[in-house]
Amino acid sequence: MIFNINKFLKYFDAIAFSYKTNFLIFIITAGMISITILSQVSIFSLKHDFDVLFEKRTKPLIELEKLKDTYKVNIYDTYYDIQQGDITYKNSKEVITLATQLINQSWTTYKRKTENKNYQPSYITTFITNLFPETSLFKVEKILERNIIRNIDKKILIISNTMSTINTLLEKDRYAQAFEHIERLNFEVKSINIYLTSLSNYDLKLAVNEKRKTEKVFNIIIIISVISIIFVFLFSIILSVLIINNFKKLHNSLEQKVALKTNELLKLNDSLEQRIKKEVKNSRKKDMIMFQQSKLASMGEMLQNIAHQWRQPLGSLTMIIQSFQTKMMHGKLTDDFVDRKVNDSLLLADSMSSTLDDFRDFFNPDKVKTKFLVQNCLEHSLELSKYLLEKEKITFSLKVKEDIQISGFYNELSHVLLNIINNSQDALLAKETNEDKLIYIVIKKVNDMAQIVMIDNGGGIPQDVMPKVFEPYYTTKYKSAGTGIGLYMSKQIIEKHMQGTITCKNIKHKLGTNNLYDCTKFIISIPLEQEEQDKHNEE
Amino acid sequence: MKNKDLNILQSFNILYLEDDKNLRLHTKDVLEDFVNNIYTVGTSTEAFNVLINNKVDVIISDILLENENGIDFLRYIKEDKNIQIPAILTTAHTDTKYLLDAIKLKVENYIVKPINIKELLNTLHDILLPVIQQKEIAKNNNVIKTISVVTDSKQVEVVNFIFNNLNDDNMLVASYSEIMEEINISKPTLIKLFKELAEKKILVKVQHKTYRFDDKSLNSI
Repeated sequence: MIFNINKFLKYFDAIAFSYKTNFLIFIITAGMISITILSQVSIFSLKHDFDVLFEKRTKPLIELEKLKDTYKVNIYDTYYDIQQGDITYKNSKEVITLATQLINQSWTTYKRKTENKNYQPSYITTFITNLFPETSLFKVEKILERNIIRNIDKKILIISNTMSTINTLLEKDRYAQAFEHIERLNFEVKSINIYLTSLSNYDLKLAVNEKRKTEKVFNIIIIISVISIIFVFLFSIILSVLIINNFKKLHNSLEQKVALKTNELLKLNDSLEQRIKKEVKNSRKKDMIMFQQSKLASMGEMLQNIAHQWRQPLGSLTMIIQSFQTKMMHGKLTDDFVDRKVNDSLLLADSMSSTLDDFRDFFNPDKVKTKFLVQNCLEHSLELSKYLLEKEKITFSLKVKEDIQISGFYNELSHVLLNIINNSQDALLAKETNEDKLIYIVIKKVNDMAQIVMIDNGGGIPQDVMPKVFEPYYTTKYKSAGTGIGLYMSKQIIEKHMQGTITCKNIKHKLGTNNLYDCTKFIISIPLEQEEQDKHNEE
Repeated sequence: MKNKDLNILQSFNILYLEDDKNLRLHTKDVLEDFVNNIYTVGTSTEAFNVLINNKVDVIISDILLENENGIDFLRYIKEDKNIQIPAILTTAHTDTKYLLDAIKLKVENYIVKPINIKELLNTLHDILLPVIQQKEIAKNNNVIKTISVVTDSKQVEVVNFIFNNLNDDNMLVASYSEIMEEINISKPTLIKLFKELAEKKILVKVQHKTYRFDDKSLNSI
């Protein structure tokens, strides 16, 4: 048995969750419906039983009482009155006829009711009675009843005969004879009353019996319904417990799964975090390297510039130093000569020193924002790259529409400008035609921005390259020539450090000449200083 | 300057083409003590004018001039104008492209800036020495020719024979009879001449038929 239950539980565990819930719902619904039906049916059958009891047992009792009363009051008392001489026969004749009729009517009604087939117990009662058979005296009683009824019939006949005899005697006024018969009638009435009483007793007994039976049926129905309610209740609870257990199991397994997955996720997260940290570190490193590279690249260019700017004074200085020796040889080393040469040398050394200062400033990163004129910065940048521009026969024209003061990092802007000049220069050098090599620069104020427009006729940037010019590591130059970070760094400086924008596009422009050239146009916009803006607004 | 006699430069004129005003001035200050005349110019046009109107012995030119090129200038005067004047190039560039062009133009030297004045002077000396020497040789030939006219021509012929037959070690291997076969001279005259030369230690007899010529002995005369 236990094994079976276990088996069932296992089977139950195994079936799908939705089936379990459906099963539970089905059990509860079926239980409810059956209980409801059972209770309704029981109530109606019990009502029926009570009705039957009333109709079959109580009403006949009334009839019997009526019979008794009629015999006692109507017949016996009337005849007694006649005997006493209180009333005349004529007066009582109608009463007696009515009584006879009443007796006949009541008796037939009683007999009809007791033998009526309609008053059968309900099916449920029958079913239950059959299910729980009772050893009763019912059959014996039945015979007794029949005997009594036969006796009563006999007595009724006797009484009616006696009454008719009395009536005929009274009509013939043979009172003595009649009184004799009346005495007999009295006796008969008393005996019929005894029979009737015993019949009503019998009926009462039956009623009590049937009532007991009905009570029994009621009890059984109550027990059955209680049992079925308990059964449904228990079954529902067991099922619910099973389902809840199932829930718990499911929940636990889900929880475990979630915990497992969470763990995996956490691990993944951890490793991701580490990887991200590593990548960020790498990218920082790359940025640093990139920055260094760009710095080195521009340093290389700067060094070339310095070398050139130093070569000439250095040549002169060398010559001056040697001149002392040769003058000495020839005995021509006069005070005047020495003074002249020393002065020249000092001037040359000064110019060399200032060149160095220029470049050293260029490489010193600015720590604080300073106010400066845009054109000054641009002129300085052009000065620094003048050598290479002249060497490659590139002509540049600078157009300053108005003095614009901005606040920012002078050297960084200078770097950016140099970078773009260098790019233009490279583009111009790569050009194979014999056109003039031009760089055209305009400084102007647009809204609240200082705008530097730099245009070169280097032929423009190819369409496929255009979207990538500001990307790091993108270069069209040979590996030795470019690091590909110049424009990227420029964008970073302009956007992050100076809150400006840098864009580039290809245009057609005359550049102040009569020819139309394919040009590249770089636009750098830098917000004006706040005060400047205010002033500008006031204007 | 150690061994070279820079005084020979004193008689020459130099054209100096350089666009850097400072360097031009200072170099002129140095060179003017060594040469007869130094013309300093900043452009090739000026240089060409100087070249046409003056006697120039050496051109010193910078390669990278303002808007022009010293090599182009040299090519112009040497190939187009056929003016063959030795030239020295100075430059701050060590570019081989310039070097190859310079070699093709048979430039005398290629001096990298900053200019080492000793190097420049030595180069000038090396360029101008053959010119001086040629002049000397021409002069000496004239002297010998003049002497041979006024003195005994037979003795001059013998001296000629001696110098023509000196081997690499300054040795003369010859007998009197061999000399007499070449030159129509009497033996006593020949012996007298050899004796004289031996006394002055110009031609010393080392062994039979072998004599050594000592050029140092000439200086002591």
